[in-house]
Amino acid sequence: MKKKLWLIVSLMLLVSLVLTACGGSSSNNTSSNTGNDTVAQPTTAPAATTAPASTTSITIWADDTRAPILAELATAFEAAYNVRLVVEQVADIRDQFVIAAPAGEGPDILLGAHDWLGQLVASGLLEPIDLGDKADDFTEVSLLGFTYAGELYGMPYATENMAFFYNTSMVPTPPQTWDEVVAIGTALQEAGTVTYGLALTGTTYDAFPLQTAFGGYVFGRDANGNYNPNDIGIDSPGMIAAGDWISEQIASGFLSNNVDWDTAHTLFETGQVPFLMAGPWALDRIRTSGVPYAITNFPTATQPGQPFAGVQGFMVNALSKNVLLAEAFLTEFVATEDVMVKLYQSGNRPSAFKSVLEATADADLAAFGEAGENAVLMPAIPEMGAVWASWGDGFTLIIQGQQTASEALTVAANQIRDLVAGALAGMVNVPGSWQAASGACPGDWSPDCEGSALTLGDDGLYTGTFTLPAGDYEAKVALDGSWAINYGVDGKQDGDNYQFSLTADGSVTFTYDPATYLLEITVE
Amino acid sequence: MRQVKPQVGGEEAERFTLGFITRILVTIVLDAAAIWFVSRLITNEDYVLAAALSIVAIIISIIMLRHKAYPLRWMSIGIFFMFMFSIYPILFTVYVAFTNFGDGHLLDKDQAITQIRRVRYVPEGGTSFTWTAFRALDGDQNEFGEYALWLKDREGVGYLALPGQPLQRLGPGEGLAGEFDRNGIPLEIAGYERLNAITLAASGADAELREIVFGSDTDGVQIASAQTASQNKARYLYDPAADTFTDQQTGDIYTAVDGTYVTADGLKRLTPGFQSFVGLDNFRRFFQSPALRGPLLRIILWNFAFAFLSVVTTFALGLTIAYIYNDPAFPGKKIIQSFLIIPYTIPSLITILIWRGLMNPEVGIINVTLRNLIGSAPDWFNNATWAKVAILLVNLWLGYPYFMLICSGALQAIPKDIYQAAEVDGANAWQRFQKITLPLLLVAVGPLLVASFTFNFNNFNLIFLFIQGGPPIAGATTRAGHTDILISYVYNLAFAGGRGFDYGLASAVTILIFFIVATITLFQFRFTKMWEEVSENV
Amino acid sequence: MSNFIPPKETGFRALRNIRRSQSQQKRLSIIIRWIIALFLMFFAVFPVIWIVSASFNPADTLATQRLIPRNAGLDNYRELLSSPVFPYLKWVGNSIKISGITTLLSLSITTLAAYAFSRFRFTGRVNLLKAILLIQVFPTLLAIVAVFLMISQIGDVIPRLGLNSHAGLIMVYLGGAMGVNIWLMKGFFDTIPREIDESAMVDGATHWQIFTLLLLPLMRPILIVIGILSFIGTYGDFILARVLLKSTEQYTVMVGLQIFTSGQFSQRWGQFTAGALIAALPIMIVYLALQDKIVGGLTQGSVKG
Repeated sequence: MKKKLWLIVSLMLLVSLVLTACGGSSSNNTSSNTGNDTVAQPTTAPAATTAPASTTSITIWADDTRAPILAELATAFEAAYNVRLVVEQVADIRDQFVIAAPAGEGPDILLGAHDWLGQLVASGLLEPIDLGDKADDFTEVSLLGFTYAGELYGMPYATENMAFFYNTSMVPTPPQTWDEVVAIGTALQEAGTVTYGLALTGTTYDAFPLQTAFGGYVFGRDANGNYNPNDIGIDSPGMIAAGDWISEQIASGFLSNNVDWDTAHTLFETGQVPFLMAGPWALDRIRTSGVPYAITNFPTATQPGQPFAGVQGFMVNALSKNVLLAEAFLTEFVATEDVMVKLYQSGNRPSAFKSVLEATADADLAAFGEAGENAVLMPAIPEMGAVWASWGDGFTLIIQGQQTASEALTVAANQIRDLVAGALAGMVNVPGSWQAASGACPGDWSPDCEGSALTLGDDGLYTGTFTLPAGDYEAKVALDGSWAINYGVDGKQDGDNYQFSLTADGSVTFTYDPATYLLEITVE
Repeated sequence: MRQVKPQVGGEEAERFTLGFITRILVTIVLDAAAIWFVSRLITNEDYVLAAALSIVAIIISIIMLRHKAYPLRWMSIGIFFMFMFSIYPILFTVYVAFTNFGDGHLLDKDQAITQIRRVRYVPEGGTSFTWTAFRALDGDQNEFGEYALWLKDREGVGYLALPGQPLQRLGPGEGLAGEFDRNGIPLEIAGYERLNAITLAASGADAELREIVFGSDTDGVQIASAQTASQNKARYLYDPAADTFTDQQTGDIYTAVDGTYVTADGLKRLTPGFQSFVGLDNFRRFFQSPALRGPLLRIILWNFAFAFLSVVTTFALGLTIAYIYNDPAFPGKKIIQSFLIIPYTIPSLITILIWRGLMNPEVGIINVTLRNLIGSAPDWFNNATWAKVAILLVNLWLGYPYFMLICSGALQAIPKDIYQAAEVDGANAWQRFQKITLPLLLVAVGPLLVASFTFNFNNFNLIFLFIQGGPPIAGATTRAGHTDILISYVYNLAFAGGRGFDYGLASAVTILIFFIVATITLFQFRFTKMWEEVSENV
Repeated sequence: MSNFIPPKETGFRALRNIRRSQSQQKRLSIIIRWIIALFLMFFAVFPVIWIVSASFNPADTLATQRLIPRNAGLDNYRELLSSPVFPYLKWVGNSIKISGITTLLSLSITTLAAYAFSRFRFTGRVNLLKAILLIQVFPTLLAIVAVFLMISQIGDVIPRLGLNSHAGLIMVYLGGAMGVNIWLMKGFFDTIPREIDESAMVDGATHWQIFTLLLLPLMRPILIVIGILSFIGTYGDFILARVLLKSTEQYTVMVGLQIFTSGQFSQRWGQFTAGALIAALPIMIVYLALQDKIVGGLTQGSVKG
């Protein structure tokens, strides 16, 4: 019995080994072989069934709405250039891409939103795209969205932003200010027409046009107009004012404190609220509901409300073996009116392609475009990752009435600052060429070396004294253990290095004043 | 405990014949396959996997050949898969905990160097052109190389660029150029066929094309993108001996520090960074991070309570059902069990979301009904206590069928005669359950309770899908919610917060969590009788 | 007549009364148990009713779902089953294939190992058992990355076992075969008296014969339970599958279903719920088919032993 078993097992193993060995060696010659199974199926890419497999192929990762449109291009593309086009539907494109690309298993092209850039570019996963003359075909804001650190990293196809919806059967003329919104809404409430004056959807993204109307912002901008991760505006006066406004309106019963996305939309669709802030993604369901609506710009409080703007586009994998091909495919084959129209039709988003946008007859999308004219591009810097969760929590606490806006937002902003600054938040350091010589640090110019950190005294000044051998040295002030915030001579951010020298071995004392950003160096 | 059963030994000694020979043969074949596979892995430079596979192959060979390892032969296949797909990932996690693997450091060093070397710049006086490619009809036999470019500068002036030859400014019909199209590009060039960007890119390897210099040493042009070719140069020059990059434009020198090339004063850095060892940095960062100042203790306590209560409730309900409907004569038993298994058959991905809808405080059917019946309803999402109750309730719904299945199988294993004996002794139903059923059941199911505890301890999906850890804890120094458990808290820290994905930090904390859970697991065994079962029984 | 009744007779009647009251008691207990069952069934099925109703709802909304949706119809099912973009039935087929093969293989691995743990005494036995459990305890937050890299590297050598292959995925699933189920199974082997195999051994049976001919039939109920658990576990996984499978044709049903919920604002709840119900069918069928075999297998066997 047992002998038999071993015999059988060994035979099976032998056979399977022979099989796998053959499979291995034969397929090793053509490394792109694995793709064959994928493409031979008519559902994803009908091309391969009609023509013999060609040697080169482009793989695209797209979501379920865009994948079919791109898959339709495969036949034409293969016929014209003998290049196969493999379109794969992927659910979490970014998360999967981050794992697959470094292993050399990523797609050549991926579809995504502009706010992925910070993360993907920092990791070296995206190839800059040169649109050449074609750049003129795209709207300025969409190209701006895909520009990161001065380079264009994507070819946009759509933009999206929220707009202000109102029920035309109850509200004849759109309100211009939030005060008018409250006045109209309250009147309707008192008349018994509606349950609430307004329903929020609970996410900070959706409430942003309200917050900006009061002057709130997420990140400040530096002189070059780039977002500055160290200027966090979550607890700015504008944000707090907006939070206070929300608390008041909830207390007075004007605002619902149920902030479920689905619920808010349903309330509007069933005529229980006259106003709604919503995105183009909700258009289909609002249209189906049959509620009479119109779309307009966001009301003003202290300034006009600005929604976030998002841009969607194609990006090229920097580790792809077909970077040029992928770029050429995008600029020659996708950046055409034909394809852009199809992409536009599938998504209910204003096109990023000028000619398609101009030809857009849809009044709703035109209204979205108008409401988004002053939109704020969603920050693409990696630090944005730290913002969403804390900001959202603070916002929830305000709506629940557990904390005042100023309490909740201060806590949220501090959580974000902690995360952005990392473990060394609050550290004041004087990195320079002296660090190693003093024995306090293993190397020079290290802002994260705890050995050279200054300590806070009762007088509000940071000081530290170190012994040094004779010589000429340079130093600078750096905060939070990184170079992100650093002050040079005259307290200037990114300014020149401080110089100091010791004629004989002695000690040096650094005194930093956080009020003036000035560093005083005393040599003894 | 040490000795192999004598029968086994005798048996083995006798079978020096066919069984033994086939076993040797199998081992040889397996090892041959392993050696082939490992050698291929080494050619592909996948050294770590090659090493892992070699170790597993050696272990399997020992198991196959050593007489004393006979019992392990029964599980050799299982051990193989366990090593490859359970232990290897764990070792990988441990490795990652000591590196800076994460956003900004996803690539390995070679990949990062390649990327940085690809950065080009156009030096002063250099020109950019749009290009159109032509291929020699005689292919790579052509004396100037396979490809030629037609370049057009900003003013629209056209040049023919051949590798090694100075650029030739040509008008329509001049030199090799034929008539121009309306974009100012010759329709044909003698001896060449015109290509478009896609055909060109598809015809050869990308990297090669970019390396070709079209033109002479002084005016050479290289393809920079699908649109542009320019008199560009590599921006950063790599010195492999010193492992430094030199910026050709500014002269800055970059050296590798902790996975990033930085200038000496640390102010400028090149992207991307690469994976590198950072020692205990991740652990240090966790212990210094605001996370520890956050409501960590609260989260740990809730985590224990959640895991414990989940196990107790699901097991209690599952066992009760299995027990009271165990009687084969019970009418409708099959129908009942088929209905009760339903929660297990529908993917939890959807049922969790459905429960979310049902429990919506405002419009969910549960609260609407409750309000109609008793006038008030709990706020499942915003009240910390009710949120916890809601999670336990949903988890009970999700989890009891598992124990129902296990227990109904396990109850069959308890010999009927034991019950009969007890019945004779006059024990009532409860006593029988308590004295006979439960202890016997626990022997079989005990490890599953422990496993269920650990599973729930890390039940990220439920917490995340149902309520994202909310409602938020007011005033917390680090973002945390009342229903957050350790793993979801860590997830927020390492993936959703900070500067993108931080696999290194996540791994480090994962290891810490493992130590916590492993300690509990081993502890639980001491309080149950299971170890004794393992070491002494039968 | 009553005079004639001897004391014995009284005892007999008493006994009959007891019997009657016992049967009454039994009926009462059945009724009580049925009431409990009805309550539990309501608890179990209630959310599922909602899923069913959502699957007939043409509007993609979950929170405000009514029991009987407006304009209820089969549109979601029709769209799901006829869409050329989503080869839904093929996904279900893939899932059944993958889960079926995984279940059979991991059952054999588990059973063989559990037999060895139960019947042999060898060095490191207890430690190995502990290790098996501790391995399960390790949080798998990062295992995905490791597994992806490994399968990608294996695929460079043997593409059939690499990314986007079902074989590769099955291999990864088998990595969990040496898991907690070994404990469960070993516990059951332990409950089978050793005398059974010892006497067989005296008769000259080998371990393999004892294992296959004597013990396996006795283990049928728990084999089936573990089989079902393993099938459901594999069937429901989408985390590993979605990372390893890339082309639509190769997807399992869970990976496919996930597509419907992935859009942040474009969740297609209708198709998602319809798909989930279709996906649940194979599991229901497997369970219903095997339900009888769970109960009553071992009882007969052990009496014989």
